[in-house]
Amino acid sequence: MSDKMVHTLTRCLLVLAALGLSGCAAFSPDAGMTAVSELTAQAIKKDVAFVRSAEGAETVNDNVRRLLARTLSADAAVQIALLNNKGLQAAYNELALAETDLVADSLPPNPVFSVSRIAGNGASEIERQVVGDILALATLPFRSDIARDRFRQAQLRAALATLRLAADVRRSYFRAVGANEMVVLLTDAKSTAESTAQLAVKLGETGSINKLDQAREQVFYAETTADLATARQAATSARERLARLMGLWDGGLDFRLANQLPALPRRPLSLPSIEVDAVAHRIDLQIARLELTALAKAQNLTEATRFVTLLDLAGIDRRTRDPDSTPFRERGFDVQFQIPIFDGGEVRVRQSVETYNLAFNRLTERAVNVRSEARDAYRVYRSTWDIASHYQREILPLRKIITEEMQLRFSSMQVDIFALLTEARQRLASLRGAIDAKQKFWLAQSELQTAVNGGGSPAATADNATTTAAAAPAGGH
Amino acid sequence: MFSRRGFLGSAAFAGASAISGRAQAASIPEAAHMDKVTMQPPLQPASGPDYRPVVTLNGWSLPFRMNGDWKEFHLVAEPVVREFAEGMKVNLWGYNGQSPGPTIEAVEGDKVRVFVTNKLPEYTTVHWHGMIIPSGMDGVGGLTQPHIQPGKTFVYEFEMKKSGTFMYHPHSDEMVQMAMGMMGMVVVHPRDPGFRAVDRDFVFVMSTYRVDPGTYLPKVNEMTDFNMWAWNARVFPGIDPLPVRLGDKVRVRIGNLSMTNHPIHLHGHAFAVTCTDGGWIPESAQYPETTTDVPVGAVRVFDVLADNPGDWAFHCHKSHHTMNAMGHDMRNLIGVSRKDLAKAVGKLAPDAMVMGEKGMAMGTMEMPAPDNTLPMMTGDGQFGPIEMGGMFTVMKIREGLARDDYRDPGPYQFPKGTVAYEIDAPAAEPAKAPMKKMKM
Repeated sequence: MSDKMVHTLTRCLLVLAALGLSGCAAFSPDAGMTAVSELTAQAIKKDVAFVRSAEGAETVNDNVRRLLARTLSADAAVQIALLNNKGLQAAYNELALAETDLVADSLPPNPVFSVSRIAGNGASEIERQVVGDILALATLPFRSDIARDRFRQAQLRAALATLRLAADVRRSYFRAVGANEMVVLLTDAKSTAESTAQLAVKLGETGSINKLDQAREQVFYAETTADLATARQAATSARERLARLMGLWDGGLDFRLANQLPALPRRPLSLPSIEVDAVAHRIDLQIARLELTALAKAQNLTEATRFVTLLDLAGIDRRTRDPDSTPFRERGFDVQFQIPIFDGGEVRVRQSVETYNLAFNRLTERAVNVRSEARDAYRVYRSTWDIASHYQREILPLRKIITEEMQLRFSSMQVDIFALLTEARQRLASLRGAIDAKQKFWLAQSELQTAVNGGGSPAATADNATTTAAAAPAGGH
Repeated sequence: MFSRRGFLGSAAFAGASAISGRAQAASIPEAAHMDKVTMQPPLQPASGPDYRPVVTLNGWSLPFRMNGDWKEFHLVAEPVVREFAEGMKVNLWGYNGQSPGPTIEAVEGDKVRVFVTNKLPEYTTVHWHGMIIPSGMDGVGGLTQPHIQPGKTFVYEFEMKKSGTFMYHPHSDEMVQMAMGMMGMVVVHPRDPGFRAVDRDFVFVMSTYRVDPGTYLPKVNEMTDFNMWAWNARVFPGIDPLPVRLGDKVRVRIGNLSMTNHPIHLHGHAFAVTCTDGGWIPESAQYPETTTDVPVGAVRVFDVLADNPGDWAFHCHKSHHTMNAMGHDMRNLIGVSRKDLAKAVGKLAPDAMVMGEKGMAMGTMEMPAPDNTLPMMTGDGQFGPIEMGGMFTVMKIREGLARDDYRDPGPYQFPKGTVAYEIDAPAAEPAKAPMKKMKM
């Protein structure tokens, strides 16, 4: 090969490198966060912040303090968590790391320079080589395209982490507030039970009731006390979990929560196209789709390079100096490539085909599941609304009638005071059922959001069944 | 409470109207109908042998017609709504618009024909309690006659062989039908109007019901735990007083178709039981009493000389029978302080009222109660609450009433200095007997 040829080759390398560079990505100023915040804002209408500076941290702190100044709503709790949860910040750090991969994958391969000098017996030989991975350079646009898809996936993953946190916060919020409501109810019930238990003691002293009946009248107090302790503990734990998710500690821990769950919406949402919405919006599905695209590109790349997996082109410049002769210089090139003779690239092609098929099936499976989850979430949402509103519209009003009628019967001396107590126990069971039902509705409402947007966890929540009072006949005739 | 009402002579049977649409005028007499629950004036006989009529407490006597030798009556068995007292109406079964049915009055020796039309949803009969009649007229369904099916009319014919006080009631599904209020009184006057004659003659039948607070229908399966104790299906303060002219000889005829006996007590007088459903008691066998026990399924008649003016309580002496509906499964709260009780009740039932910690007396408190439920004890007198219900009324003995005037004469004007009074005395320590140490 003549000098000219070598020059031409070298020039070619440079041109290819330039071509490759044109497809390469630089670091973005926002580390990919803009897309994340757009996605989450669209899904849950909340701000996110990737805190990377002292001023950023200060702004976040101000916002959090402002939100904490009031009794927290579910939305405020979510907003605080999105700003303040360090785990989420770590997820954003992962996104920033993914960007480094993108940048790395979209740069052309670095040429290898080598200089070797061999000397002996007065003679010496210096050889210089520039080696470039021609194949890598040639496929750079493809690879950088794939890397961009991967980065997009990382952004979606960050968005998913955000939605998941938001969903966790909502769940924890409704658990904590529901537990508060239960505590309020049981505190009241305990005080009622306490005064009737004292009355039972007094009646024991006047000789009106025996030990057996005293114990019967006092057991409600004892049970309610235990129930209240359990409810308090549940409320504390739920509050702690919420504090963790909101990233609060020390000074932030005195946040105020409502004592009552929000009222039910007057009408449940009607979402006839929930399956379509879910399939269109679910971020986990979008991630899987991108995975498939990336794998398809990777498969094309594999197909294209199946017979040549390595193509190194080296420009060689050798200078030989011998005491016996005049020094001379040699130039040339060296091409190395690997041909998969024994498997014909079959293994790699099979691998990539199966990986693609696998991802395709996973995507399909997920889409089927997403549709089912969406349907299920909507049905659960509807039925929990029906149940909770049944409590509000039927059961509690009936309980009210029973209470009023029992009071009339007590006032007109038809029933004993302890018949009122029996009735109070049954009313308490209904009220507890109503709180449970309302809490289940709000949890289902949160799940409905995640069923459409993603970020839900299929973790089954243990149903804390309401203690139903023994169906003792209410006193009276 | 009681107004002077309903006793104007010309208004007699103003409420009685014919329901003879179904009656065959030629053969079946009109069935008179009553829509009032107050005591109606005595039904003076316009035909047939003369007699001195009775007055039915919160009730009336059934008009009759003479058909040749026969005195004809028409009873219609039908569902009725009976007001037990103001504020409580009960769905009962009765006769001719009311429960109990009208009193049937006849004279010893009368040939009586009673038409009985059944407008109940089930069959019935009428049994003539205590009367000596042919077996086939005794009204025992299945035994002496076929049951009278709904819509059918049967005729009973018999001769009033002896005078006295009797009752009528079904002997056909009788447990249900008596628990539903089907009953009435039969008075047979002596052929000789001078025989044991009195100036005023009252009659009523006692019955009991179990009407749960807030309901309108008695529980017919109840056997012992009744809560409405009624004279002529009325309870105090719904029972009319017995107005009596001072010096009148007064007869009170009491039938008992409840499930327990009632010791009937009149204040201020001693009386003698003069008659039962078995017949007149010889004067030699009578003895003075102030209380007479009226057994189940029996009639007691006492005669009293009303020689002591005033307002005299007249009642069953079973004290729970002078109460209206009350719960029977109540703890005794005597001895618990009002504060403790109020605390417990306030928590359990903020709108309820607290009673019973000193006793059950409620004074003038107005008790909230379920629908159609009378206060347990009630009624006001000129000195305050009477706190009675059920089988309680007042015999009002006054000077100068007209012979057949049964209007409520109002509260008694006590002569000055004749009412128990309070004296201004320091609260003295009750003297204590010195305790002797006992040797064990």
